[in-house]
Amino acid sequence: MLSESELISTVEMLKYEHLDVRTVTLGINLFDCASHDLEVFKANLHKKITRLAGPLVETCNTIGDKYGIEVVNKRISISPIGVVAAPFNSAQMVEIAKTLNDIAVEVGVDFIGGFSALVEKGIANGDRALIEAIPEALTQTDRICASVNVGSTRAGINMDAILLMANAIKRGAALTADKDGLAVAKLCVFCNIPQDVPFMAGAYLGTGEADAVINVGVSGPGVVKRAIDRAVESGSSLGLGDIAEVIKRTACKVTRVGELIGREVAQALDIPFGVVDLSLAPTPTVGDSVGEIFQSMGLTSIGHPGSTAALAMLNDAVKKGGAFASSHVGGLSGAFIPVSEDLNIEEACRNGSLNIEKLEAMTCVCSVGLDMVAIPGATSEETIAGIIADEMAIGMINNKTTACRLIPVPGKAAGDNAHFGGLLGHATIIDVKNCEGQNGFVRHGGRIPAPIHSLKN
Amino acid sequence: MSKIIITAIGKDRPGIVSSVARVLFQLGCNIENVSQTILQSEFAGIYIVSVPDGTDFETFSEQFREAFGEVGLHVHIESMETELPHVEPSGEHFIITTIGPDSKGLVYDISTVIAEAGVNIINLTAVFEGGDNPEKNIMVYEVLVPDSVDRHILSGTLKEKAASLKLALTFQHKNIFDTVNRI
Repeated sequence: MLSESELISTVEMLKYEHLDVRTVTLGINLFDCASHDLEVFKANLHKKITRLAGPLVETCNTIGDKYGIEVVNKRISISPIGVVAAPFNSAQMVEIAKTLNDIAVEVGVDFIGGFSALVEKGIANGDRALIEAIPEALTQTDRICASVNVGSTRAGINMDAILLMANAIKRGAALTADKDGLAVAKLCVFCNIPQDVPFMAGAYLGTGEADAVINVGVSGPGVVKRAIDRAVESGSSLGLGDIAEVIKRTACKVTRVGELIGREVAQALDIPFGVVDLSLAPTPTVGDSVGEIFQSMGLTSIGHPGSTAALAMLNDAVKKGGAFASSHVGGLSGAFIPVSEDLNIEEACRNGSLNIEKLEAMTCVCSVGLDMVAIPGATSEETIAGIIADEMAIGMINNKTTACRLIPVPGKAAGDNAHFGGLLGHATIIDVKNCEGQNGFVRHGGRIPAPIHSLKN
Repeated sequence: MSKIIITAIGKDRPGIVSSVARVLFQLGCNIENVSQTILQSEFAGIYIVSVPDGTDFETFSEQFREAFGEVGLHVHIESMETELPHVEPSGEHFIITTIGPDSKGLVYDISTVIAEAGVNIINLTAVFEGGDNPEKNIMVYEVLVPDSVDRHILSGTLKEKAASLKLALTFQHKNIFDTVNRI
């Protein structure tokens, strides 16, 4: 029999500390749906996705109910449409996005991710059509997420692609000006994109993956925060090594939950289990914040000096605990710092504790990047391209994933508020140094060569 | 070989288990299963022992009581039906926890819902000490829910009952507790 404290701590994690399975994401390979005929392709998509994903939502709900843990989102990741739908033009790409959106509604999933292109070394015809289609596709759909990988440690950074993406971001935001640029809140630009991310907006199914696979994203910043609080309140003098140990143990427990649910869903659907992504993903709910963990560790606010060190320790401890708990850990696996999705981080931006430069510095040691950052609508394409290039460079040089999800909110300036709704939350628009005139560096285009893999310093 | 069940209950103190075991050893018995617990200051132990062939239950019972010298310990001895092997009905183990203020009849109310569903309680721990600390006001039932029982209905009925008693009730498969707490 389990001890009372074991039982109670588990019940508290699940019931009061917001531990949930953030997403069960069914990856579906679409290469066998390919066709040069749009109608045939759309019919193939419908047939394959509905066949595999039909029972996904009900299965997740049943298993979540059995264990008393909510599977908050049920999602689908698909092969990159830029490749699968390579014969089509941008208008047809928009049609494909709408078809996928209809399928998402039919099977009841929250999002389909994989309206994606991999262009770190060059842009093929299908990729170009897809990038061209992104603003319209994300405006005309509400359950489709797009991602474009523009750099990698092996290939370098494709500045032509970054410029296209900066343009797409501006256009997408303009098309949804009435919703504060919501379209581009569903768009991520990546360096070193993982093939098995279950989280949106970056989820897609890589070409090295199985025909179908179940990936799970767990969360639980509230659980980590409470564990640190309890350790601090216990009165014993804690070194940072002790706090890291608390985080590690907690991350281990959180990951075990994800592994259990993922394996059972996979078994029920007769689909192989892929990975657990053990990210600390916040939501705009009190007590479900990554920013609050910084305060539990003793900082007055995220963004203040010491924040990068604290985040480095947090991120590493989460990875260590998770890696021990599951034999297959993947995706992004670390701490997310999405501004609008985290009440505490949003507040730090609002009161000036956190600015975009510090956010960028922190992304050197966290698992994603400049995520859900609302910037002034007047920010130029060159400036957006420059911010993306900077973030991609961090990922490329440090051999890690980095991403940008920037929303230039039309008609609004620094200090104004942008509302995206739901899990996307709201954000105070953060000031950026807008380039005046031409930014010759990004307008050069071409590629930044891949970095040398020796002489590390 | 026949089996006997012995239960011993009384004020806890050092040496109780040793005394019972000594007598059983002297009478040539083998302890097959033993479980003991202490509630507040009270000891309770239950022993399943196999006795030598040909042992007469009445004689054994007398001999045990004569040899067992512990004062203030109530001992109950009973022969055990051993013809039918114990078969656990097929089903799954769930954990029900309740947290909330103490009041009379809580165990009765909750266990009645469980019994009426035809579900067996495998293990029960209940602590009521008042105050706000959840660890001091809880019930934990481990139950075996047979495959024939609709656990959604059971869970719903339990939660309704708990709400009327101002208790927070959870109903979860046991695996989640094992998974989180045991490596």
